Amino acid sequence: MHRYLGKKSSILVFTLPFLILYTCILVYPIGQTFVRSFSDWDGITEPVFTGLQNYRDLLQDSDFPIAVRNGIIFALVLFVYQQGMGTILALIFNTRSLKIRGSRFFRTSFFIPVMLSSTVVGQLWVQILSYNHGLINSILGSLSESLRIPFLSDPNLAIYSVAFANAWQGMGITFVFLLTAIRSIPEQYYEAAMIDGATSLQAHRKITLPLLQETYKVTFVMSLTGGLRAFDTMFVMTGGGPGNATTTLSYMMYNAAFKRGQFGYGCASAVVLLAECLVLTVFINKVMGKERIIY
Amino acid sequence: MRKKDIRRPVIKIILYIFISICAVASLYPLVWMAFNSLKTNEEIFSSNIYGFPLHPNYENYIHAVTQFNILSFFRNSLIVSAICVFCTIFLAMMFSYATARMHWRFSEAVRLYAIMGMFIPVQIIIIPLVMIIKNMHLNNNLLSIILPYIAFNLSFISMIFYANFRSIPFEMEESAAIDGANVYTTFFKIILPMVKPAVATAAILVFLNTWNELFIAMVLITKNNLKTLPLGLLYFQGEFSTDWGASSAALTIASLPPIILYLLFSKQFENALTVGSAVKG
Repeated sequence: MHRYLGKKSSILVFTLPFLILYTCILVYPIGQTFVRSFSDWDGITEPVFTGLQNYRDLLQDSDFPIAVRNGIIFALVLFVYQQGMGTILALIFNTRSLKIRGSRFFRTSFFIPVMLSSTVVGQLWVQILSYNHGLINSILGSLSESLRIPFLSDPNLAIYSVAFANAWQGMGITFVFLLTAIRSIPEQYYEAAMIDGATSLQAHRKITLPLLQETYKVTFVMSLTGGLRAFDTMFVMTGGGPGNATTTLSYMMYNAAFKRGQFGYGCASAVVLLAECLVLTVFINKVMGKERIIY
Repeated sequence: MRKKDIRRPVIKIILYIFISICAVASLYPLVWMAFNSLKTNEEIFSSNIYGFPLHPNYENYIHAVTQFNILSFFRNSLIVSAICVFCTIFLAMMFSYATARMHWRFSEAVRLYAIMGMFIPVQIIIIPLVMIIKNMHLNNNLLSIILPYIAFNLSFISMIFYANFRSIPFEMEESAAIDGANVYTTFFKIILPMVKPAVATAAILVFLNTWNELFIAMVLITKNNLKTLPLGLLYFQGEFSTDWGASSAALTIASLPPIILYLLFSKQFENALTVGSAVKG
């Protein structure tokens, strides 16, 4: 039985095309990035091994502390807005006693921004936040000219503005993740809680949130690493500016490799970025516990 | 009990107001963009900032199409997305069939190896990738972005198919074998038709990812006539940034396909996310 399901030749036919492409385009370059990060390399001539020099330079680069700080700010803005709003909205739409009308319309409207490209979102928000003609500043300006806020040209504010535009776009993903996770919680749990006299809010605190732990692991990692890796929105909205106020590690990598031709240095920035993301992912998985709640 | 009866409608109204504000916050920026695309710059900047275009005109669209190559960007995006959707699904299906249903020693190890790709940020591979593309002489060729796009989507899509293939009863192959079919006939004629909903889900996901991708395209494509939409639209970032009408028209054109797709297939989208969260967790 199942003779052909164990045939070596057909297994190769089924898996090789996938594995070749995957290995050549994704896996091999990771190794290359690691190796090249220890060398001085301009992308044209042969790389020269320089040990940890790139990492030392990176730590002393005046942009590095700004990039790390911006990565953290970006991650926190995404985290707070997406998890906060996502959780509140998902709970509202899953509270049995509320029976929200038109929930389909609302769900769709929260999710539509997720469909758009970062170029569209970035440019749209540049217009919305524009100092002279933007949507928000037009409203503020009609109250009083002095209320106008330089969202993108103030070096301290720019990173928050960019992070918010990104958070606005991605909120729908967290929302739908949580929404579908809550739907899979058996109805009886809530019925039992109601019989015991619990309010909807208590039921959510004692039943829904603890059972969402596994989903939260995923959405937390998505928000936080998404913030650390941020590049697109930044590139479209501020180009790293004003000055270097909105630079990030991704941006340093991009500039080093593709603007200044310092490929080795760019590789080192990419490795540091990957390390940040890995540490964070492991940390979240540790803190949030391993035990799975089975229902 | 009585106190609760009075409180409930009030809470309900407050919550309705809250979710309505959220819906406006999500939708109004896009509606504003669509409105702007039908307004003159005079209206956008001073006379009619927030509302419906008073004298809707299509000048901006004509402008965007005739002057900014929008149609060429659109066509490139369509070509790239179509090829990626087809190839990713085909490769991922073959692969996950082998890992889900065929009997071989390293099946599980290879499957885990393939899942790893989901956690790889594009930044960590981009520099060597540029070199690989250069060595393959694919510079300024749509293939230079198609190959990485496929590779990046393979992990997630193959997971979706893996889950689907596992849920099909194993008797399917047994009865096919008794009828004398070989593995390829079984795969294409019997198993594939059973995972059609998953194909729809996967197609939508890959389409979205490729239609909206900016970073890889930006690094690998420099020729204007090969640019995809997200890349081509950057054009409006610099020198033409004052022409909000035309840029709004271009942004609207770029946004319509994914939004229409979502409105048509919102169910499959949510399925896709459920599968994703189940496997990632």
